[in-house]
Order: sequence, then structure tokens, then C-alpha cells
Amino acid sequence: MSEALNTSWFDPARINLLVGLALFVAFLVINIGRARSGREMYIRPMAGLKAIDEAIGRATEMGRRVLYLPGLGDMSEVGTLASIAILSRVARRAAEMGCDLDVPGYDPVASTIMDGAARQAYIEAGRGDAYRPGTVHYVSAQQFAYVAAVTGIMLRDRPAANIYMGSFYAESLFLAETGNQTGAIQIAGCDQVTQLPFFVCACDYTLLGEELFAAGAFLGREPVQLATIAAQDWAKALAAAMVVVSLLASVLGHPELGRLLQTR
Amino acid sequence: MRYGPLLVTFVVGTALVAMFFIPHHKVQEGQSVLLDWANVVYAFALILGSLSLWASHQRKFLSRAEGWPYSFVTLAALAFVTIAGVVQGVEEGTLVNRYYNMVNSPLASTMFALLAFFIASAAFRAFRARNAEATLLLGTAIIMMIGRVSVGEFLWSGFPPVTEWLLDVPNLAAKRAIALGIGLGAVSTALKIILGIDRSYLGRS
Repeated sequence: MSEALNTSWFDPARINLLVGLALFVAFLVINIGRARSGREMYIRPMAGLKAIDEAIGRATEMGRRVLYLPGLGDMSEVGTLASIAILSRVARRAAEMGCDLDVPGYDPVASTIMDGAARQAYIEAGRGDAYRPGTVHYVSAQQFAYVAAVTGIMLRDRPAANIYMGSFYAESLFLAETGNQTGAIQIAGCDQVTQLPFFVCACDYTLLGEELFAAGAFLGREPVQLATIAAQDWAKALAAAMVVVSLLASVLGHPELGRLLQTR
Repeated sequence: MRYGPLLVTFVVGTALVAMFFIPHHKVQEGQSVLLDWANVVYAFALILGSLSLWASHQRKFLSRAEGWPYSFVTLAALAFVTIAGVVQGVEEGTLVNRYYNMVNSPLASTMFALLAFFIASAAFRAFRARNAEATLLLGTAIIMMIGRVSVGEFLWSGFPPVTEWLLDVPNLAAKRAIALGIGLGAVSTALKIILGIDRSYLGRS
């Protein structure tokens, strides 16, 4: 017997997600308005992001490269999109300082887009002529072939700084530990919770959780971009408050509130 | 300013968000079609990626840069797999299939097996009792390692429940807090791109 076709135009089980999304958009609009009116945005300092400048400066002084690894995600993963925004900032800073950048790519689509983003960053820094063809180069879309190629680059070229930003999986420890053995300054940010402990062990600085997604805006320091971080912080505060309230309600014998937060 | 790509991003992004909330079969079929289109784009990008790989290693090989023999192996393997794949296909028994099963897979397994040694060296560094937090981590790691093997239960029957508590309470709480931040960050990034606030993917800051 064939399965009945769904003909409804709204899934009521997802109403809580829709409300959450609407609230997030509202926070975003409010904070963009505040930013455009010239209000100062307080964004908490993130040590890992401040260290990016230091790492590029160190590489420039040593006359060595900065190795930027965008992770194994494809363009459908938000971690890759965040990584492109960060690469754009890193490339601009590297161009300004006259430092060589190397970006081995895993996904061919992401590599093509990253090449365009890095090239544009060099042009915006007034150093378009310094952009070396092959700065962003596709390596392999196979996990361990990629690991072998990148660890080879680390051991042969000895980059002064390794920056890992994006979605990483089982290869995280291979890459970070090899980088650690070469003595490079290492900064990581990953959207995979299970891989974060490996980066914490092997890197000098690790961006946790939402910090990866805030990094591009934080490095750019443009008011509208910073407004998105403020909106993210407001949403996080609201989520934390709702968790505490629903917990208290459950303890007092009213678990309905907690059920409202469940997703399907 | 290129408004075309921004408009396409806004329309497709908003449509996909809307499709998430609409279970109607026609809408879900439309979503599948959109995802199939992504595969077509990927196939073209793979050709671009292969050309980039060829150009990068050809440069190293021709200039006899450091490590050029590796570039030669890469070029030879790329040419061999491409030609054999086009001529014979990739079905079972073909050259590409045998190359994949007899060369590529064992090499990948070998790389993966090395992970144990990397874990040991990272753990050695992380578990040094340099300060209060590192000592706490060391203590927790020792309890976890003993509690997850049979000898732990033999030594003290309380080890397995303690490890379960560590995993299910403090560990899970921290993981969920980070996951919550990642989820909100992902939504924020998606909205920035859909609304055109972040244009770095277009080569614009």
C-alpha cells in the first residue's frame, strides 16, 4: 500500500522553531538599527582572535607562511561559510603585512569560492599584484589523502602559523598534533563538538562554540557585522534563561514548558 | 556591486527556510530538486578542482621544487585514474575499482591507524598536572580510563557508575552548552548570508 501524501502547509510541531527564528531575526534587526545609529557595541574580547594578528606578524618576521585550513565541510555546511568569512579577513591581514598564505582545500566548490575571496582580500588591501596563483589550491576530497598532503606541507614548509577554521572530523588531531610538533603557533575553531577537545590539547588558542561564527565579524570590526554578534549573544542569553525557567518549572511539577522547547 | 548573486542567495535561502516548515509533498519534492542541482554544480567544480591540482603540482614538478617527486606521483595517479575511469568505467573489476580497493583504501586505513599514536602524544601533553584545571582533567581521565575497562569493575564496583555519571552529567552539560552556541552561531551565519550582510563568499567583505 502506498504511503499517503502529505498535503498540509505547516508543520505544527515546528512552531517553536519558527518563533525562535522570528525572535532571532528581531534581535538582528534591533541590533543593526543600534549599530547604524552609531551606538557603541560591546563585544567581549576573544583571545584566539586577537592571536591571529600576532600569528601573522610572527610568520612575517620569520619569513615563513601562514597555513590556513578551511576544514572538510562543503558549501552546504555553515562552518565552511564561516571559514570563508574568516579567510577573507586573514588574507587581507596577510596581504597588508606582506606575509605568504597557503590554503589547501578539501572541497572543490569551497576551494574555488575561497580562491575568489582571498584574491579579493588582497585587492582590497591594495596588494592585488602580490596574490600568488595557487594560494588556495584543491588537494583531495578524500579525508586521509587530504591529511597526508597537509601534514606533508607542514613538515616540508614549516609554516610559522597554522589556522584551522571550519568543520573538522577525525583528521583534527592528525593535523593539530603534526602542527604542534613543527612548533607553529596554532589557532583553531571548529563547529564539531567532539573534535574540540583535540584542538584544545594541541593548539595554542581554540575558539569554542559560537566563537567560530563570530570570528569573521569580530576581525572585520564593521558595525553591522558586530551587530550580528550582539544579536547572537542576546539569543544565547534568552536560550539560557528559558532553560533555567523550564528546569525550575519542571522541578515545581510543570513539565509542559520544557516540552514546548523540544524539537522534532 | 553584483546584485544578481545576492538576490539569488536571498530567494533560494528564504525558500529553503520556508520549505523546512512546510511538509506538503509538492514542496518537499521541490526541495529534493534543489538539492539535486547542488550535485550538478559539484560535478563541474570537481573538474575545476582537478585542474587546480594539476596546475599546482605541474608547477612544482617543472621547477623541481622541494618534494617534486611527490608531485610526479600525484600527477601520474591523477592521469591514470582519469584515463582508466573514462575508458573502462568504475564498476567492479575495472582498473579504477581495483586501484581504489588495493591502493587507496589500505593507505587510508594505514593513516587512520596512526591516530592511536597521535592520541597518546596529545594525551601525554594534556594530562600533565600543571595547574588545578589540568590536575582535575588528569584525575577525571584516570577514572574514565579505569572505569571503562573490565579491570576497573574488578578493582571497585563503583567505577562504572562514576564514569557513567561523569559522561551523562558534567560532560553532557558542557557539550550541550557548546552545541547551543554552535546552533545559534549557525543560524546567525545563515541569516547574515541570506540577508546579504556577509558577502565574503562573493569575494566581497
